[in-house]
Amino acid sequence: MVKFLKPNKAVILLQGRYAGRKAVIVRSFDEGTRDRPYGHCLVAGIKKYPSKVIRKDSAKKTAKKSRVKAFVKFVNFQHLMPTRYTLDVDLKDVVAVDSLQSKDKKVTAAKETKKRLEERFKTGKNRWFFTKLRIANHGTVVGNLLCEIQV
Amino acid sequence: MVAGKKTKKTHESINNRLTLVMKSGKYTLGLKTVLQSLRNSKRKLIIISSNCPPLRKSKIEYYAMLAKVGVHHFVGNNNDLGTACGKYYRVSCLSIIGPGDSDIIKTLPGDH
Repeated sequence: MVKFLKPNKAVILLQGRYAGRKAVIVRSFDEGTRDRPYGHCLVAGIKKYPSKVIRKDSAKKTAKKSRVKAFVKFVNFQHLMPTRYTLDVDLKDVVAVDSLQSKDKKVTAAKETKKRLEERFKTGKNRWFFTKLRIANHGTVVGNLLCEIQV
Repeated sequence: MVAGKKTKKTHESINNRLTLVMKSGKYTLGLKTVLQSLRNSKRKLIIISSNCPPLRKSKIEYYAMLAKVGVHHFVGNNNDLGTACGKYYRVSCLSIIGPGDSDIIKTLPGDH
């Protein structure tokens, strides 16, 4: 009986604008806070995945294609699907609770996250995290997820 | 896996044990609460009925795998599981939180 919604866990968002996107838990608030009286967590995720790079591409093109666009968000646990993967990216100093208070703080947090995630992508580790979740025509996000995760 | 008679016997005992939990232990019924307490890792054991939709079943099993909680597939559909809980409605997934009668938790995961 292990608690699995911990920081650095890779997670997939199920609802909202970022549904189907992969994210990492930065901080989790299991008991909830006064504003949000439910279990929720702060996630940092990928808004736009890096595209596929082929050998033919020039250096400029490769750089352009490997860009990652990030987002930072509070999400209810119910709208997350935990996976068995973890992502060891140090995002705690970048993304704090107060970075979602104002718009510019949010933007700076997202930019920093983007930088860290891009670095990680370029090292070639955690490849699963940076691939888009393939959604078949008839499937739901959860169904496709479960197929992907269990593989 | 096992012959008809053997399953009948274990089936009966599971039913008995379930009624004991209903009386003495803590449990929750229903998908939402099952997932919720899986996340809080307050569960000890999960029981899924046989006609739970397969997507839902795999979801619960995946969560349980992450939380390292035992899952037991009840022999019988959700009508039967509801009756076994002593309720007048259908129950397709149920979780046992507190060991009212700790016999259940010890025996069922071993069974599975």
